[in-house]
Amino acid sequence: MLLPLIAAAFLLAGSGSAVFTDEAWNVDYHYALLGQPKQSTSFFHQPNPSSRASLVYTLSERGVLGAVNPRDGAVVWRQVLLAGASAHNASFLRAGEGQDVVISGIGSQVAAWSAADGRQAWSVDFPGPLEDVEILELVDGKDTSGAKDAVALSGGDQPVVQRLDGATGSVKWQYQLSGTDVPYQVSASTTEVFVISLHKTILGYLKLKVTSLDPVSGHKMDEHMLSSENELATADTIVTVGANSASPINAWTDSTHSVLKVNIMGTKGISSFDIEKHGGEAVERVKLHAPYHINSLSHFLVHYETATSHWAEVFHVDLKRGQVEKAYSLPKLAGRGAFSTSTSDANVYFTRVTSDQVMTVSSASHGVLGKWSVGGFNVAAANDETAEPIHAVSEVSIRGDTVSAVRSAVLLSTGDWVLLRDGSPVWSRPEMLASTVSAAFATPAEVEALVQQLEAEAHSNPIEAYIHRLTRHVQDLQRLPAIIMSLPQKVVQGFLGTSVDGDITSDSFGFHQIIACATQDGRLIALDAGNPDKVLWNQQIADLQPGQTWQPSVSSPKGGVVEISSKASAGVQYNASSGEQLVSILPIDVTADQAAQEVKYAMHDGGLEATVDSSTTWHFMPTSGERIVSLVPRPLNDPVASIGKVLGDRRVLYKYLDPNLALLVTANDAATAATFYVLNTVSGAILYSNVHTGVDLSSPISSMLSENWFTYSFTAEASGDSPKGHQLVVGELFESLVANDRGPLSSTANYSSMQTGTEPFTLTKIYQIPEPISKMAVTRTRQGITSRQLLAVLADSSAIVGIPYGVVDPRRPIGRDPTKDEQAEGLVRYSPVIDFDPRWYLNHQREVVGVKDTITSPALLESTSLVFAYGLDIFGTRLSPSFSFDVLGKDFNKFQMLATVAALAVATCVVAPLVTRKQVNTRWQFM
Amino acid sequence: MAGTSALPPPPPPQWVLELTAPTAPSKAKAGSVPDPPGFTPTTAIQSRQSKNTKGTAIAPRKQPSPEEMDTLKIKKAWELALAPAKQLPMNAIGMYMTGNSLQIFSIMMVFMLFKGPITAVLNIQGTFQRLETESNRAQMLGVKAAFVGCNMLALALGIWKVNGMGLLPTTRSDWLAWETARDPLERAYYVPSY
Repeated sequence: MLLPLIAAAFLLAGSGSAVFTDEAWNVDYHYALLGQPKQSTSFFHQPNPSSRASLVYTLSERGVLGAVNPRDGAVVWRQVLLAGASAHNASFLRAGEGQDVVISGIGSQVAAWSAADGRQAWSVDFPGPLEDVEILELVDGKDTSGAKDAVALSGGDQPVVQRLDGATGSVKWQYQLSGTDVPYQVSASTTEVFVISLHKTILGYLKLKVTSLDPVSGHKMDEHMLSSENELATADTIVTVGANSASPINAWTDSTHSVLKVNIMGTKGISSFDIEKHGGEAVERVKLHAPYHINSLSHFLVHYETATSHWAEVFHVDLKRGQVEKAYSLPKLAGRGAFSTSTSDANVYFTRVTSDQVMTVSSASHGVLGKWSVGGFNVAAANDETAEPIHAVSEVSIRGDTVSAVRSAVLLSTGDWVLLRDGSPVWSRPEMLASTVSAAFATPAEVEALVQQLEAEAHSNPIEAYIHRLTRHVQDLQRLPAIIMSLPQKVVQGFLGTSVDGDITSDSFGFHQIIACATQDGRLIALDAGNPDKVLWNQQIADLQPGQTWQPSVSSPKGGVVEISSKASAGVQYNASSGEQLVSILPIDVTADQAAQEVKYAMHDGGLEATVDSSTTWHFMPTSGERIVSLVPRPLNDPVASIGKVLGDRRVLYKYLDPNLALLVTANDAATAATFYVLNTVSGAILYSNVHTGVDLSSPISSMLSENWFTYSFTAEASGDSPKGHQLVVGELFESLVANDRGPLSSTANYSSMQTGTEPFTLTKIYQIPEPISKMAVTRTRQGITSRQLLAVLADSSAIVGIPYGVVDPRRPIGRDPTKDEQAEGLVRYSPVIDFDPRWYLNHQREVVGVKDTITSPALLESTSLVFAYGLDIFGTRLSPSFSFDVLGKDFNKFQMLATVAALAVATCVVAPLVTRKQVNTRWQFM
Repeated sequence: MAGTSALPPPPPPQWVLELTAPTAPSKAKAGSVPDPPGFTPTTAIQSRQSKNTKGTAIAPRKQPSPEEMDTLKIKKAWELALAPAKQLPMNAIGMYMTGNSLQIFSIMMVFMLFKGPITAVLNIQGTFQRLETESNRAQMLGVKAAFVGCNMLALALGIWKVNGMGLLPTTRSDWLAWETARDPLERAYYVPSY
């Protein structure tokens, strides 16, 4: 009887704010990520030549340029240079010594950024893809007063070298490369600019062609071919080109890594060094580390890696004689290691980071200047995996002849980016999460274990169940001391309102759910939604070759289990809490609905095809010229509390609830039209369709289907009578538009879509929104009583908004004010423009960049839905669309309540004897 | 105690004697003040009667006959029975004034409105016991029926009010929770292709 009132209260409440100020930094979490850094584009650099403090700069695999404070790991600034970049995109990041700009190159654009705040100074677009960017370090004193110029080489049809002015980006000169040679890299010494291109010989081998240019005029000075004989079959075995600004070198090996050849650029001589075979294992990788500064010693380090060990050799370049000599070698160590180069004045230091120690040597001699042991990197990894350094950049501080401190930003094999200060980890950034491609919520396995035990008790005979229960409680008793120990703290925390929500095992609200994220590079990472500061576990689940892509999809078929499906492996399951792979390969039936007949449908030949017991039941083929953009089925677990909508006069409008609905979006590129279909996926019937013409198909079309309503958004092109705009369409399906009518099927208990097809009555409304929505999701709660919020990812403003359903309700009256009954429902007059209320922004002050998708999960509390967004950044929060009606808020004053109770108790004790005395007196008094 | 029990009780104090023995009205005073007009003391009637009808004994004031008594009682009972109906208009106005919102005041009013008639009907025997005799029992049935009817009217007013407040499950939405969604006989599952 109170239902309409409660419903009305919810509808009114739904228009409130999404985030309270006291919850803002508490219930939500955010990782501002960059992506995994590359060795060649990461370095320590002083943003301001006058300051001593330096930042770590990187241009990551994900195409994000950022500066990280080495003290706490916080992002100082970042810029997304190339959205959707992967590790294969060539990218360059350079900073001149004593410069306050960093120069980046990615795609075909070279840009200069203020090192302190990340503002763009200038950018230049090249006709072809960039092959290299270098900074010109000239000693002639002409150009050292201001910003240092950059030299960039671009490939493509018309390879060109350009010298760009460091302050404005204007082209000072350009040199057109001719011939069929493939431009490879550019390098600069103090007096010359070298362009290295790959010349293909008749036999199919590569030769390095070095063209030297005058840095001032850009005229060609010399050109020669290096006789690399038959060693170079592909460009992959070229170890390095450039580096050592004082004397740039070329280095390459043959395909078996048996010989190292080094050439000092500008000369024709080639020094050849045999690579020692250590223990008969094949050398897999050869890397070269050299300082980039112009006035540092021209020493370099060559780093050899086999599958199980690594070692290094240090070489000196004798400039006068034009020779390269081996100086000393660093011993072989098991496991992987990372070397980094740092300079201090003219001296060069090499820092070696392995999984158990950090060591610094001078380039001049092999004496160890500083050595620190590494206790651990303090990152989560799988049980059988040790985190090993992949690459590192270091900054050393020199006091006298020894190294007093060294800071190294190390990328680990787990994908974490860790800063080691003297061997101890200071911070770690989970950069592997930046490449998350699929994620899912899962119940912790501990919770699921209890559920299973309770179920076992429920399904056995009473005596067995009783014994089972007794033994369980006895086992629980072992935890009693710990609970008693933590009790005072809990009481104090509860009293002060500072309590966290407990750990996974004592989670009464269901906030501690495990989020499993599968990343592009084959890792599976688990986070705890209730305690997101720490990665629970992190393991490599797919061995991917370079260049191989992986499209995993993560799901949780039952509590405590995470399942990964991909093209290679269908349904590998992992324990959600520990990450162990589950051995039981019993196919777990997602289809709990056993009574129902199963229809399976899939994308097939650009259309949809449904099968029942391997015989085709229906086809859906878009008309010619149309392609399927997206298909959104109704979620499997989509509880609906009420099958009808209660009107203001307490009549009922019945919802068209069918679990087999799907929203299909097709696009016609020629006609710039988008068609939206609501399908019954059992019979293949089209329940609703709508065509929008003049749609900008290059902008995202997002769609969502839940309960009995669907929504989609697209960008409409400007036409004769309307400007370009973004539109949000919301449609709601009803059994009948007449109140109290349940449609032709009335109240039958079940129905078959194949035999009796009923069609819904659809109400739609179109709204103009200020921004395109790139992805949509909807909040989900345990029983579906709580009103819904439509979660929209706004890519342009790097935000996520939660739009209350009441705002976009298709039943809003048009052209008139709502009647009293409609007002009771919370309906307001239709207005075609929706402005995103600042209170709807879930991310409030934060900038959530590059969100690809948002997933939601119900908590145990009916009022609350968990939200997790991934893409580049990781963002998560808890939402209460109808406010937290089932839990006391932080604003509840426990102290006041207890004080009131105590005061009343005291008052009762004081007043009781007075009242007794008065009553006795009244009895004894007459007249 | 044993020693004192033999003693005679002390004489009551003077004020108790004065209290129990009211002073006799002074004849002189009564005689000096004339009776108000229309007042006929019994002594005067008796004396007049004795003057008019000599020889007849002074008859005492005539007691009403049982029939008369019954008529009186029935009359009184009807008054009682119709009393709730007389309150109806006032109650109706009160109910109208309190409005249909759910507030503590209107809820209390409605509660009183329900409590009154129900308790009255339950106590119907006690209410009419004094007025009921062996002879008028048949008539009293009608009276009681009228009483119940009037209380039912008051109750109906309460129900009207409760309905106005939306607390009666009279509409479809009140039974919506007992309606279940139809189960589909087929379930479709999307098989993503990788």
